[in-house]
Amino acid sequence: MVKTAKKSSASTGATKRADPGRGRHPGVVKAAKKSSASNRAFYLVIAVIAVVGIAALTYAASHPANGAAASPIDTTLPPVQSQGYVMGSPSAPIEVTEFGDFECPQCGRFATLTEPDVRARLVNTGQIRFRYIDFPLDIHKNTWNASRAAACADQQGKFWQMHDAIFANQDRWNGEATDNPDKVLKEIGKQIGLNTDQFDKCVDTKATQAKVQAHWKLAMDRHLDGTPTFIIGGQQIAAFLPYDQFKQMVDDAIAKAQAAKPAASHDSSKAVGTAPKPTNK
Amino acid sequence: MTKRHAMALLSLAGLLVGAYLTLYKFGYVGRLVCNISSCEQVQTSRWSVFLGLPVATWGAGFYLLVLVLSIVGLQPRYADSRVLSSVLLALTGWGVVFTAWLNYLEAYVIHAWCEWCLGSATIVVLLFVLALLDWRETRQLREIDIAGAAQ
Repeated sequence: MVKTAKKSSASTGATKRADPGRGRHPGVVKAAKKSSASNRAFYLVIAVIAVVGIAALTYAASHPANGAAASPIDTTLPPVQSQGYVMGSPSAPIEVTEFGDFECPQCGRFATLTEPDVRARLVNTGQIRFRYIDFPLDIHKNTWNASRAAACADQQGKFWQMHDAIFANQDRWNGEATDNPDKVLKEIGKQIGLNTDQFDKCVDTKATQAKVQAHWKLAMDRHLDGTPTFIIGGQQIAAFLPYDQFKQMVDDAIAKAQAAKPAASHDSSKAVGTAPKPTNK
Repeated sequence: MTKRHAMALLSLAGLLVGAYLTLYKFGYVGRLVCNISSCEQVQTSRWSVFLGLPVATWGAGFYLLVLVLSIVGLQPRYADSRVLSSVLLALTGWGVVFTAWLNYLEAYVIHAWCEWCLGSATIVVLLFVLALLDWRETRQLREIDIAGAAQ
């Protein structure tokens, strides 16, 4: 009893905590039971918050473009032409442009997960023409090296092979992996069968710097603020796009293009069946 | 609500933040919701990885541990456990040190801030303060016990 009296004289918080922790006296057992009941309510609250949180995270993961909305492009700017790297039929009803950064994780994800389907189902079937334009962001230390190397590969007609290899090996040459990205990029160039003398010299002399800068300026003129940014018909969106969403935007753009030019629909339907091979431009 | 209830709630919030940033780091979240700072710059910097794992993943693990310990600490038999309080204090103290280092990097090395990281830093500091108060409370109880036993 002396002990209980002592506890009463301690701080209120200490008294509350001491009782349920002991369970040695009748009154204390009651308090512990009460505590268990309130704990059960608390666990329910924790469980509800956890479930809501997991649901929100699942939603965020299954809607990668969440938070990014497509917006109309600035029509006062001249259309993007003859810049970047193009694959697909010149007669495709619409062109899709990607402003990409080789070191951007989401660009890498698009290149490795979505782009194979885009090429097989949309580019090779003549539904779209796909253009890639460098937009190396300041926040990525080695991205300019990668863009220059890709442009060097383009000199040997192997831009897209290099593009794919650069993205596939992003973790080998990015700013977190190395301070000497050119060394890794040269290895990648060798692996895809480039003429190494020519390629290494191009990389070492930064021969393609001006070309990459021109591409970067195209993005700056459009006030783009992130990568990957896609221009699909009259809309642009800055986000990773899974194939289904990409295809939906392409379908909308083709429908609009065909509605605007009913006479051209015959030509575009012809192009769908031609299955042209990807080409560099 | 006791301090450990509050710690459990805070660590759950921290766990969700850590999980969100981890999903981004592994490419499952396209774009971070980030309106007033430069989350991508911080999250894609070389400092966003620690010992081969994203810092966010370490953070999620830290919060999960604090959450589990806080919930264990709610059980009547551990309610005034001095050991548990000490572990929570040490753990959250380490969290504060690690967070201070990350904030230093944001301010002086990366020169960019990430609002999710700042939110996490706030949670860690609050957890530490609560752990400290909890630890003092269990120490008080121990002194009372000793005094009671002496009589």
